[in-house]
Amino acid sequence: MVVEKPVPEFWAWLPWALLNWGLTVVILAMVAVGLGFLGATLRYGPRVAWQKVLRLLRAIPEDLLYTSPRRLWALTRLAVKEAVRRRVVVGFAVFIVVLLFAGWFLDPTSEHPAQLYLSFVLDATGYLVLLMALFLSALSLPSDIRYRTIHTVVTKPVRPTEIVLGRIFGFTLVGTVLLLVMAPISYAFVLRGLAHTHTLSAEDLSPVDAEQTASDAQAKVGYTDRVRGHRHRVQVEPVARRGPTEVVRDHWHEWTVDRSGGETRYRLSGPRGMLQARVPVYGKLRFRDTKGFDIDKGIDVGDEWTYRTYIQGATEAASVWTFQGVTEDRFPEGLPVEMTLGVFRTHKGKIEREVLGALSVRNPRTGLTVEVEIFESKEFSVKQIWIPRKITEFSGAEVIPRRQRLIDGSVDITPPPERMNPELANRDEFDLFEDLVDDGTVEIWLQCLEGGQYFGAAQADLYLRAADAPFVLNFLKGYVGIWLQMVLVIAFGVMFSTLVSAPVALVAQGGVMLLGFFKDFMVQLGRGELIGGGPSEALVRLVKQENLVIQLNPGLGTKLVKMFDTVAELFIRAMAALLPPLSDFSFVAYVADGYNISANLLAVRTLTALAFLIPVALFGYLFLKTREVAQ
Amino acid sequence: MSPRASFYRKIIYLAAVSLLLAVLYPVSHPSTSGGDPGGVLAQVRHDHQLTEAQLGDIDPTGETIKLATFGLRGVAANILWTKAFNYKKKKDWTKLSATLQQIIKLQPHFLVVWRFQAHNLSYNVSAEFDDYRQRFLWVIKGIEFLKQGVRYNEREPRLYSDIGWFTSQKIGRADEHKQFRVLFRDPEDFYGVFAQDPVYPPSARPMEFRDNWLVGKDWYARAEEVAEREHVPVSEILFYSHRPKCQMNYAEALEEDGVFKEKARQAWSRAEREWNEYGNRELTVGRGQVIRLNDFEQYAADVAKYREQLEAMAPGLRKKLQEEKRARLSKAEREALDTPPEKRTQAQWQLAGEAEAKLVVDHREVAQRVTGSKRRQALELAQKLRTAERLGARIEGYRSIVAFPWWRMHAQVEQTPEALAARELIYEADEAYRLGDLVTAKAKYDAGLEKWREVLDNPRFPTLVGDGQYGRELRELIGKYQRVLDKRDEPFPEDFILQDIIDRHGEPIEP
Repeated sequence: MVVEKPVPEFWAWLPWALLNWGLTVVILAMVAVGLGFLGATLRYGPRVAWQKVLRLLRAIPEDLLYTSPRRLWALTRLAVKEAVRRRVVVGFAVFIVVLLFAGWFLDPTSEHPAQLYLSFVLDATGYLVLLMALFLSALSLPSDIRYRTIHTVVTKPVRPTEIVLGRIFGFTLVGTVLLLVMAPISYAFVLRGLAHTHTLSAEDLSPVDAEQTASDAQAKVGYTDRVRGHRHRVQVEPVARRGPTEVVRDHWHEWTVDRSGGETRYRLSGPRGMLQARVPVYGKLRFRDTKGFDIDKGIDVGDEWTYRTYIQGATEAASVWTFQGVTEDRFPEGLPVEMTLGVFRTHKGKIEREVLGALSVRNPRTGLTVEVEIFESKEFSVKQIWIPRKITEFSGAEVIPRRQRLIDGSVDITPPPERMNPELANRDEFDLFEDLVDDGTVEIWLQCLEGGQYFGAAQADLYLRAADAPFVLNFLKGYVGIWLQMVLVIAFGVMFSTLVSAPVALVAQGGVMLLGFFKDFMVQLGRGELIGGGPSEALVRLVKQENLVIQLNPGLGTKLVKMFDTVAELFIRAMAALLPPLSDFSFVAYVADGYNISANLLAVRTLTALAFLIPVALFGYLFLKTREVAQ
Repeated sequence: MSPRASFYRKIIYLAAVSLLLAVLYPVSHPSTSGGDPGGVLAQVRHDHQLTEAQLGDIDPTGETIKLATFGLRGVAANILWTKAFNYKKKKDWTKLSATLQQIIKLQPHFLVVWRFQAHNLSYNVSAEFDDYRQRFLWVIKGIEFLKQGVRYNEREPRLYSDIGWFTSQKIGRADEHKQFRVLFRDPEDFYGVFAQDPVYPPSARPMEFRDNWLVGKDWYARAEEVAEREHVPVSEILFYSHRPKCQMNYAEALEEDGVFKEKARQAWSRAEREWNEYGNRELTVGRGQVIRLNDFEQYAADVAKYREQLEAMAPGLRKKLQEEKRARLSKAEREALDTPPEKRTQAQWQLAGEAEAKLVVDHREVAQRVTGSKRRQALELAQKLRTAERLGARIEGYRSIVAFPWWRMHAQVEQTPEALAARELIYEADEAYRLGDLVTAKAKYDAGLEKWREVLDNPRFPTLVGDGQYGRELRELIGKYQRVLDKRDEPFPEDFILQDIIDRHGEPIEP
């Protein structure tokens, strides 16, 4: 699975995140107070303005502290009723229609059908629920204010906090119920879409050894029939009654044989192993260059996508993952390694086979390195390699020191030459935990064995598959991501609706959603890192139909354009900092690619959502409080 | 507002709506299967053969999606294109395929989409895979994509032609063409090369014709048929050359696979016949002129004949005119001409060029100097000569685009018994070398080289010894022969049978 933005470890992230958040909130509060004071001064003069600001500041703690759960619940129910009245069920109907016709767009003969189906249902659900949240939240308060139905609420003893939170909670409740209904339907849709089986008859199988005559006493191999553009190889052992087929397109089937009545009949189950939730343990990646020195990154082979960097074959270059917490309790039988590789050939090599690579395990303290597997590379699919506890079959063992160039130019060698013991390698058998794991730390080395060929790797490309989580639970976690996005959209919608009229709130909220999904782009734009320049430079290029990479003609016009962009970038940077990173809350890739959504990821994202929710709700309250309608 | 005013306003609105509908109806009401030809727009669409049914299969999915975008089809297509590029960049092939399917639902009749994305799949995406079987799968996916395009655009010869190109050239000329051709011929059709093919289902094609060159040729034939039927303008010189060239490549591929004798001879004979048919085809070029590539020989014969007749009317006159012109050159120009080219200065090169242009004697100049009763006839001859030369030169220019004479000679050479035998012997020698049997390899190479000598000495092909393409191929062959001699510690023969090839084209090329 591609992980372009690694998720930080929760406890390491928390203090910095809290500090950052606190500072931002304080600055925002100061700006808000300043602007409020300025506005009031223009209207009433500084003296009255000051009194009003003070009164407001005094009212905030009171409103917050005396918010009544009973009134809040009443207002929540009101919001729910309103949502139902606004035909929220239409969203659900659209969802069903989309699923009904989805078969037109989804290709069940795809190489990774589960990935396709899962990403489709999660994306479709997400878009629909977010649209619903957008319309409900942005339109509700303004229409109440416009038609003065809000007076039936504000004339009662309710606080603005209760109105704002009531709306947020009410709409969230509606959305949650909707998601709870959509989740099982989507799951059933995926299961139904992926369901298929094959047929296999005795005639499809022939003896493994073609020299011998067919008899029941030897293994037979053959292929199932072709369904959805694929078939499976089956090997039937003479006495076996059931067994797995070969894995094709991320799944396999279980065959059972019925030999009663003198006839042999085979039956195949539905697809197995398609829906997974692997629990990966990631290591930290570093590289070795061709001379055996540590480097942070491998070679850039000119790929436009710089996610992976490469190591040169038949040299000392290697990609090295260091894993921690590798203990006997966690991996009593050995290490289940899974990896995805990039391969770059500079010459044809052997066309009929893939490039050879080697996987080694190294003890970081002693330097003992055992080459446990030589394999053929396989791109764009997950390759599994099992490193057993007792390593008796290996292609080589030696003691290799780690060489690091230090800042002062000297070289640090671990272990130092005087403590290196080459005798460690002169053994016929190695124990994973006694010989290769040092205090829970172990290194796994990947090397390319063919000259002129390269292997590419990124940190998440190789991991230990610690366990498998229940897929259904992971699927639900995927929905939690959508839920977090929905809550944020609702909160922003309610906040805007307390301030401006319905169409403006809709546009503003739509803008936040759109920009929130493209926050990374906004950040890059704000930092001036995008090819083609800032907004005005891009406009000039568009109008003049100029290439993105050529320099604009020097002159006053270009100077003005650049100056404008410099100012715009400051504004964009500030905007980007305030936007919720909506795409970060999407866990679709995890569910679709079959990786468990970790508690760490959930915790980081939930807290991030909360960090946006608190100030947004607070601002919503302040806007409503200062509007005359609510006073 | 009084209820009456509101009522009147509604009446006015209704009237306006009715008026607009009344105008709109004759313009845009659709045609029906009951015989109603529809409104003006429907009729214009029909007359220009632009209705969905006339363009190809009707796709209800695409129509639904187009409607569902509420007029934002362009925006949706743009977003999807950006997504497709991003998925390609990040090597997410599953999503790339899915996005392409969405794009074509929105733009089913936008030809560039089909051609660009099919090329993307067959050439760019396939190259990303390390496993040659996966590469093959993606080449086929590109071809499948084009076949899908053909279903929606039955009248577009370029799509048929692209399928022909991908099937023949991409599979037959790739680095891994040997492996690709084997996968293509797979009796079980594991990769679905022929699956769901409306035009050439597997049942319609016996195994021996499941060759990528022959299948590609069939698609080119379809492309030609559609182009002629629909009068679609194409670049005719190249467009009509693809089909016969496929036959040439098929014959070559047969020999590469070790198939010789009568089957290979028939393949080459057919290649010559089809190339000749192509040469006889009327081709529209330039601004609507019609030529035939085989007419060049006729014009060349005419030129020779007229020139001879003109020279006979005034023997030695052309030479005399040339001398007169030379006498009129300046001293510096004469010096430049007399200086050997390799010793000329920059200025002399320019002067020599100008002088050579001045020395050219036009046929009309010759004719005008003819006196007496023959003058009129000479002038007519000069005119004919000029016309024949001009037309011949034009055809020659077009012939050079497809190397027309070379391919004709190639097909003729290859079907001679000597060439067939030479190729078979060399194939056997290569196989023997591969198996480590140096004795057989050398014997077969010797025999093969002798056969090549006979081919080169065939008086039908006087230009063969000097031909660069054959020269290179023979240098590679001599390189392989030399390798066998080296391994056997034998010296390279002093009286080598193809020494003239080495002298003319250069040293042997190491294999």
